[in-house]
Amino acid sequence: MSSNHSVPMLMLRDIHKFYDHLEVLKGISLDVPKGELVTFVGPSGCGKTTLLRVIGGFTPFDSGEVILDGLRIDHLPPNLRDTRICFQNYALFPHMTVAENISYGLKIKKWKKNRVEERVEELLKLVKLEGLGGRMIDKLSGGQQQRVAVARALSLEPKVLLLDEPLSNLDANLRLTMRGEIRKLQERLKITTIFVTHDQFEAMSISDRIVVMKEGVIQQIGSPIEIYERPDNEFIASFVGYVNFLDGVVERVDIRPDMATASTPIGRIDFVPERNFNVGDKVKLVIRPETINISRSEPTTGDNVLQGEVEIGMYVGSLTKYTVQVKGERMIIDQANPRETGIFKENEKLYLTIPKNIHVLRKD
Amino acid sequence: MAEAGSFHVPRFGVRERVKAFLNAELVNILAAILFLLLVIFLLYPILAVLIKSIKDPEGLTLSYYVKFFTKGYYFRSLTNTLLLGLINTVVCLITAFCLAYLTTRGPLLLRKPLKLVAMMPLIAPPYLFAISLIILFGHNGIMTKAFGIKWSLYGFTGVVIAQTLAFIPLAYLMIENTLRSLNPNLEESAYDLGASEIRIIRTITIPLLAPGILKAGLLVFVMTIAEFGNAAILGGRTPFLAPDTYTMIIGEADFEMGSVLSVILIIPCIIIFFLHNYMLTGKKFTTIGGKPVASEPRKMTPLVKIPFILISGTVGMAIVVSFGMVLLASFTRILGVNNELVLTHILNFDSNLAIYNSIKVSLIAAFIGAMVGTLLAYVIVRGKFFGRSFIEMISLSGFALPGTVIGIGYLLAFNAPPLKLTGGIMILALNSVFRFLAVGVEAGISKLHQINIEIEEASADLGANFMATFYKIVLPLMFPAFIAGFIYTFMTTLVSLSAVVFLVSPGFELAAVRIFDRAVYGEIGNASATTMKLVVIVIFCMVILNYITKKTGFDVSQKKGSVAV
Amino acid sequence: MKGKFIFTVAAAIFSLVFFVSQSPAQEIRAYMGLSPENNAKVVSFIKEKTGIQILQTFQSFGEIEAKVKSEAPNFNADMITGCGSPLAFMAKKNQWVVPYDSPAWKGVAPEFIDQDKYWFNISNFSFVLVGNKNKLQEKGYAMPKSWKELLDPKWKDQIVMSSPLSSGTANMIRFAFLALYGEEEGWKFLQALDKNIHHYTRSGNAPTDLVGRGEFLLGITSDENVKKRIDEGYPLIWSVPQEGIGYDGTFALIFKTTKKMAECKKVIDVMGTPEFSRMMAEIGYVTPRPAENKLYGKVTPKYIKLDLGYAAEMRPKWNDIWKEKFRTEFK
Repeated sequence: MSSNHSVPMLMLRDIHKFYDHLEVLKGISLDVPKGELVTFVGPSGCGKTTLLRVIGGFTPFDSGEVILDGLRIDHLPPNLRDTRICFQNYALFPHMTVAENISYGLKIKKWKKNRVEERVEELLKLVKLEGLGGRMIDKLSGGQQQRVAVARALSLEPKVLLLDEPLSNLDANLRLTMRGEIRKLQERLKITTIFVTHDQFEAMSISDRIVVMKEGVIQQIGSPIEIYERPDNEFIASFVGYVNFLDGVVERVDIRPDMATASTPIGRIDFVPERNFNVGDKVKLVIRPETINISRSEPTTGDNVLQGEVEIGMYVGSLTKYTVQVKGERMIIDQANPRETGIFKENEKLYLTIPKNIHVLRKD
Repeated sequence: MAEAGSFHVPRFGVRERVKAFLNAELVNILAAILFLLLVIFLLYPILAVLIKSIKDPEGLTLSYYVKFFTKGYYFRSLTNTLLLGLINTVVCLITAFCLAYLTTRGPLLLRKPLKLVAMMPLIAPPYLFAISLIILFGHNGIMTKAFGIKWSLYGFTGVVIAQTLAFIPLAYLMIENTLRSLNPNLEESAYDLGASEIRIIRTITIPLLAPGILKAGLLVFVMTIAEFGNAAILGGRTPFLAPDTYTMIIGEADFEMGSVLSVILIIPCIIIFFLHNYMLTGKKFTTIGGKPVASEPRKMTPLVKIPFILISGTVGMAIVVSFGMVLLASFTRILGVNNELVLTHILNFDSNLAIYNSIKVSLIAAFIGAMVGTLLAYVIVRGKFFGRSFIEMISLSGFALPGTVIGIGYLLAFNAPPLKLTGGIMILALNSVFRFLAVGVEAGISKLHQINIEIEEASADLGANFMATFYKIVLPLMFPAFIAGFIYTFMTTLVSLSAVVFLVSPGFELAAVRIFDRAVYGEIGNASATTMKLVVIVIFCMVILNYITKKTGFDVSQKKGSVAV
Repeated sequence: MKGKFIFTVAAAIFSLVFFVSQSPAQEIRAYMGLSPENNAKVVSFIKEKTGIQILQTFQSFGEIEAKVKSEAPNFNADMITGCGSPLAFMAKKNQWVVPYDSPAWKGVAPEFIDQDKYWFNISNFSFVLVGNKNKLQEKGYAMPKSWKELLDPKWKDQIVMSSPLSSGTANMIRFAFLALYGEEEGWKFLQALDKNIHHYTRSGNAPTDLVGRGEFLLGITSDENVKKRIDEGYPLIWSVPQEGIGYDGTFALIFKTTKKMAECKKVIDVMGTPEFSRMMAEIGYVTPRPAENKLYGKVTPKYIKLDLGYAAEMRPKWNDIWKEKFRTEFK
C-alpha cells in the first residue's frame, strides 16, 4: 500500500476499449487528485459512461491501467474495488426498505449490528432522509430515491464515488437543488468524485474540472472557466454554449505590446494572442455572444468597433438575443440588462464592440 | 514513494485467486452444471428410448418399425391417437376461449363461478372424468338407465369427452392469462372504429392471442395423447398409442415395441414444438409482458353471448356434475347398484401411504423444479456463453414430451448402476422436475427481463460477490417466478399419471397411480374416495401456499397468472 | 428479507420431507399380485404375526412378471409374495431367487412347494363364469352351462375377460382352454370367443366388478373376489361350467439381492402356517394346509387337467400368437 498525497487518487493510463471492431475508448489517460469532483461530459456515444463503468469494474477493457490510490485495480471485480457507483436509474433494491438498501454493503462487509444502525442514521441525516429508513423504495419520490442511492454509494466510504447521470431522471427544479446538494456534500466529505453528464451547464456548475469527450477521445481537461473561455477546439467551443465563429488570416503580429490583427469577412479584428501566431496563419475567432457590446452611438474604447443592423431581436427576460447582420455575416449577440440600454428594434443600425481578449484557434 | 508508472499489482494467494475465479466464472459453472442435468435427465432418457427401439440382440435393426407400419393394429392406434389429439385440441381451445372471454370480458356475475369451475379439473387426476362418465353413461349408468340410452360409452367418443373435460383447464389457464394481459383498449378502439363484436374477436382478439392459443394448443395436444388414464379406462378395444405403450411395457415387458410406439408418439409432439417455436420467434414476451388489466364488463351482443354462454355452461355443468358424481360415489356403497350411503370408502385408509408419498414427491419435485427453473432462467438471460438459446430450447422442450415417453426413458436409463434410480423416490420426483420445468423457466426469464441488470451491478459495487448478490438480490426478486414454477410443478406432479406409472415401486406407490389402478380394476367407490381425499389435500396445500405467499407480500393473483405461461 | 423467510420455510419443508423418507428396518418391499383387497388382508396378517410391514403396489401377475424380467438382476423389491407359475418357474431357472428350507412348510403337498424349496405356493385360485343377476333377468337370458354357449352371438359385446398379456388369470384361462380343447381347437375357440368379448381388462379380477356393477352381462374372472362381492351386495351369480375350470398357484419367492433375508424368511414361515391357510380359504382360495373353502364349500369343483410347467414354458410363444391373432388385423 502506498497511500501518497503526491499521487493522484485515481489514475487512468491509456485505456482502450473495443466493442467488436468499434473502438469506443481510444487511449484515455487521466489523473484525478484526491477530493476533486471531475465531470465527464460529451454528446451521447462519446464513451463517458463506458469510461465510468471501466473505473467501476463493470466493463472489461482491452488495454491500459486503472490505478486507485497507488494500486492497480483493473483486474479486480467491482465488489473488491474501493469505488462505488450510483446508477442513472439508481438501481435500488425494490424488495428492501431504505435502511436495508443503505446497509446492504455494510452487512456484506460484516459490520456489527449497532455500528450498521449508527451508520445508517448518519447517512440518512447526511442526505436529509431522517425517519424514512423503514420506507419501501417504491413509496419514495424521485428525489428521495436519488438521495438513497447516494447514501448507499457513500455507505462504505469509497475512495472514489462514481455518479452516472444521477440527475437526469429528475425534473428541472429538483435537478438544480440536488446539483447543489451533491456538490456541497462532496466538498464537505472531500470525496473524490467522477460525475457523468451530457448537460454542459450541469458540468460547468458542479465541477472542479471538466473532461470533455468526443468519440472516445478526451478533447480537453480543464476548469469550467478554461473550458468555456479557452476551448481547445471548435467542437469544445460549440459544445459549451453558443459561439460566433469568424474565419480569418493573421495579418500582423506585434510583440510589444502583445497584439495581433486578423482579417475576417467583417473586417479587421485586433486580438491579444494567447500563443505564438505568425503572419499568414489561418485562424478561427471564437466570440461568445455575451462578450459583444452594442450601442446606438459610436463607442470610444480601443476595442474593435463594427457597424451592423438588427435582423431579429428576442427578449427573454434576463437578456435579449439579437441576430445582427455585419457585412453579410450573421452574429449572435446577448445583451444583458436590456432595460438599462433599451431594446433595439428590427432593422435598427447599431455599433458592435468586440473585445480584444477574444479566444483565437489556429486552423489546421 | 511510488513513482508514476511503477504501481505494483497486489499479490493474491491461491485462495483469493480461486475465489476470484469462482466469482467471475460462477455463471458459467452453473450453466455447465445445469446443462449436464438437462442432458442426464432429459436428453439421455429420450435417447435411451430411441436406442432401444432400433436395437435387437444382433445389432441395429428397423424390424420393429417395419412391424409397426405393416400391422393394421398399430397403424390404427396411430391414427386414433392423432385424431384424438386433434379433435381434443380444437374442442379444448374453442371451449377455453369461450370461457376465458366470458371470465375476462363478460358479465361480472359469471366471471368468478365460471373461472372456478374451469380450473377445477386441475386439482384432480385427469381420469376422474372416466370414472364419472362410467357412473353416468356406462352400460349400467345412471343416465343410461334413466333415459334408456343405447349409445356405448366405451370407445373413441367416450375417450374424447373425458379427455376434453380433463384438459380444458390447461387451455383455459393459458388463454385467460394472455387475454387478461391484453389491453382492452385495443378492442375498444376497434369497437370505436365501428367493428362488430364478432369482427373484433376475429380480427383483434384472436390474432393478438395467437401466441397464447398456440402454446395452449401444443400443451393440450401433448397432454391428450400422453395422459392415457381415460383411454385405458374407457377405450375398450379402441387402440391408442399411449395406453398400448403402457400395456406393452408394464404388462408384457416388450420394451422394444414399447419404445417404437414412444418414438412414434414423440414425433408429432416435436414437430408441433418446433412449429410453435418458429411461429413465436420474436413474439415471446408479448404474451406475458403486458400488465393484467381488469376489463370492464362489456355489453356483449347476443350473437356472441348466447353461444359462448351455452358452450361454457355445458362444459361447466359437465365438470361440476363429474365432481359431484365422484363425491357421491365415495359416499355410496356401490353407486348404481346399492345406493346406501356409507363411510366405508372414505374410512378406508389403505391409500394413506400413497397420498403421503404423492405429497412428498410433489413437494420435492416442486422445490427442485422451481430451483432449477429459476437458475436456468438466470443463466439463459444473464449468461454470456455460447449455446444459451440451445439450453433454453432444451429446458422448454420438456412440456412437449409425452409423459409416457419420459417414464419409459427413465425406466430404461436409470435401471442399472451407476445411475440406478428405479425403486426409489427420487426418480418419481425427478421426471416431474424436468417435464414441468418450462413453466418456471419461462416465468423466470420474463421476470428477469423486468429486472434491470444495474440492480445486480449495484450489489456487486457494494461489495457483494456473485453468490451474495444472487442470494440476496436475484432470488428474492425472482421469487414470483419461483413460486409459479413451484405451484405448477406441485399441482401437475400430484395428479399426473403418464410418467410415474412406469416408475412406482413397492413402498413408493403414488395416489394418482393407485386411483388409476382401482378405477381400471372397477372399484369405483374406492377410487372416488381416494380422489376426493387427494382433491381436498390439494386444496389445503394451495391454501397454505397462498397464505405463506400472501403473508410475505407477494401478489398471488400475479402468480396464478404466470402459472399459465 | 421476505424472500429470505420464504426460502428458509421452503428449505425447512424440503429437508423435513426429504429426511423423513428413511425406511425403518421392519419393512420389506414385495411384488404381490392378489386382488388389492386380498393383498391388504395378507399384509395386515403378516404385520400382525411378525411385525413386518410389507410394502407393495398393486399389480397383476403379468405385470409383475414384466417388471421382474425388466429389472433383473437389479430388483427393486426384497421378495415376491404373489405371482403366477410362469414367473415362479422362470425365476428359479434363472437363479434370481434363493431357496429356503422353511420348517413351517414341512408336510405340505408337493404341488404347493418346490422340491428344491425355491418357490412356495401360498394358494391356488381358479377362474369362474360370473353373470349379473339383474341384467340377465332383464334380458331373459339364462346363465350358460357350458363354455361353448359363450360363443352365441347374443352375447356380442357383453362378455369381459382379462388380457393374458397382463393378467395371470387370463393366462390361466388361456392355457386351460388350450388344454381342454387341444391347442389347435383351443385357439379356434378363443378366436370365436373374441368376437363376443367387449374388451380385455388389465387385471383378472376386474370382470367381477364390471359385471357386478352391471356394465356387462358376463365375465370370465378370477374367483378371488367373487364371494366378497356377493357378500357386499353385488347382484352376481357365478358358476363352474360343465367342462370344468383351470387353476394356477400364487407363488412366494425371495430375491437373491435382498438385504433383509431374515425378514423375508419370517414372511415365508408365516405363510406356511395352518392359520394363514385358514385365512386364505376364508377368502375363497384353495390352500396348502387343508381348510374349509368359503367359496366352493366342501365340494371340490371340476378341474381341467393342466400341466403348469408346460404352460409356463409356452407362455412367450402363446403371447406372440395372441398378439398375432388379436392385434394385427385391419378392422
